[in-house]
Amino acid sequence: MLKTTTLGFIVTALLLTTGQAMAAAHAASAADPAKAKAVDALIKEANVERKKAASVGGEWRDIGKMLKKAAAAKDKHDYATATKLATKAKRQGELGHGQAVSQSVFKTPSYLKY
Amino acid sequence: MNKLMTTALVLTVGAGLSMSATASTPTEDNNAIKKYFNVKFPKVADTEYVNGVYAVDPIGRESWEAIEDFPPYETFIDEGKAMWDTPFANGKTYKDCFPDGPVLAHKYPHWNAEKKMVMTLPLALNNCRTVNKEKPLKYKKGAINNIMSYISWESRGKVTNVVIPEGDEGALAAYKAGQKFYFQKRGQLNFSCATCHMQNAGQKLRSDVLSPALGHTTHFPVYRSKWGTVGTLHRRFSGCNKQVRAKPFKAQGEEYRNLEYFLTHMSNGLELNGPGARK
Repeated sequence: MLKTTTLGFIVTALLLTTGQAMAAAHAASAADPAKAKAVDALIKEANVERKKAASVGGEWRDIGKMLKKAAAAKDKHDYATATKLATKAKRQGELGHGQAVSQSVFKTPSYLKY
Repeated sequence: MNKLMTTALVLTVGAGLSMSATASTPTEDNNAIKKYFNVKFPKVADTEYVNGVYAVDPIGRESWEAIEDFPPYETFIDEGKAMWDTPFANGKTYKDCFPDGPVLAHKYPHWNAEKKMVMTLPLALNNCRTVNKEKPLKYKKGAINNIMSYISWESRGKVTNVVIPEGDEGALAAYKAGQKFYFQKRGQLNFSCATCHMQNAGQKLRSDVLSPALGHTTHFPVYRSKWGTVGTLHRRFSGCNKQVRAKPFKAQGEEYRNLEYFLTHMSNGLELNGPGARK
């Protein structure tokens, strides 16, 4: 009797979890034009920052890859992932630009003795 | 009296400012860099730096010396000789472009005053191919490494002697651009070339010992065990930039040619020792 009840609980829990996962997957795969537009705008901003960094020789390695992945995620209607990637790419573009500008004037390092 | 003191003060400060603003000459840079490595590795003779990391890694050196008995770059030298000797479709050969060849590697890179750019050997080889209606070779992988290995092998023992022509502002600007690149921090990891190859030369990065900058260019192209093949200097530049998570620049583009100009000048006086074999 106890074993049957426990088994029943386990099966119910499994069904509920699977159902929730399916619902989440369904929600993620549903197109949302407003969210897609927001992601597009963010990807565009990130590309601006990427180009700014590139213009001073400061583009970081992964920005381009992240933007491609963001676009792919958006196409799959995974707007959360797309937003996260595009935000990260934008920030890396800003940092790369700032880094290159900060390094634009050569100063002889102090460990070289003239 | 006050006016005199003020004038003296202004002149002193002005002189001080102008002293700190005076740029060093390439010769002064080389002397400072050699001095730095002499202090860092007091037991390593200058001539040893042609052996790259194995000048400062005695344990790695044992394996390397064993590998050099049957070096992995040998077949590339043979392929390169075949390339050198084989006429182009129009009947001409590389010798027509390079009458002094194949002992050529010590003449590059150099400043081309006419084209106002740094000329590297791979670029010159491809110029020769293009002029003779042959398809240019790719600059990082493939056949370029064969002919470079052959030329490098034939040029062994020649002394590095990069000249920055006196009074040529373009050449000095290219050298300075390469120098700036070398010391600029870049990428998400915020490293410069100097971070690893000057400040941390001889230290370990995971299981590898960081090689000193001095002598770097003497032994390219290089067979890297990691690559399983021979690769060019610009391929290594590209790989290093990617490793610090910076987007690499184009092989044989202006940035890497200027960098090669600076880096090779640093090794002036050292004998060529390529091709090399490295981990």
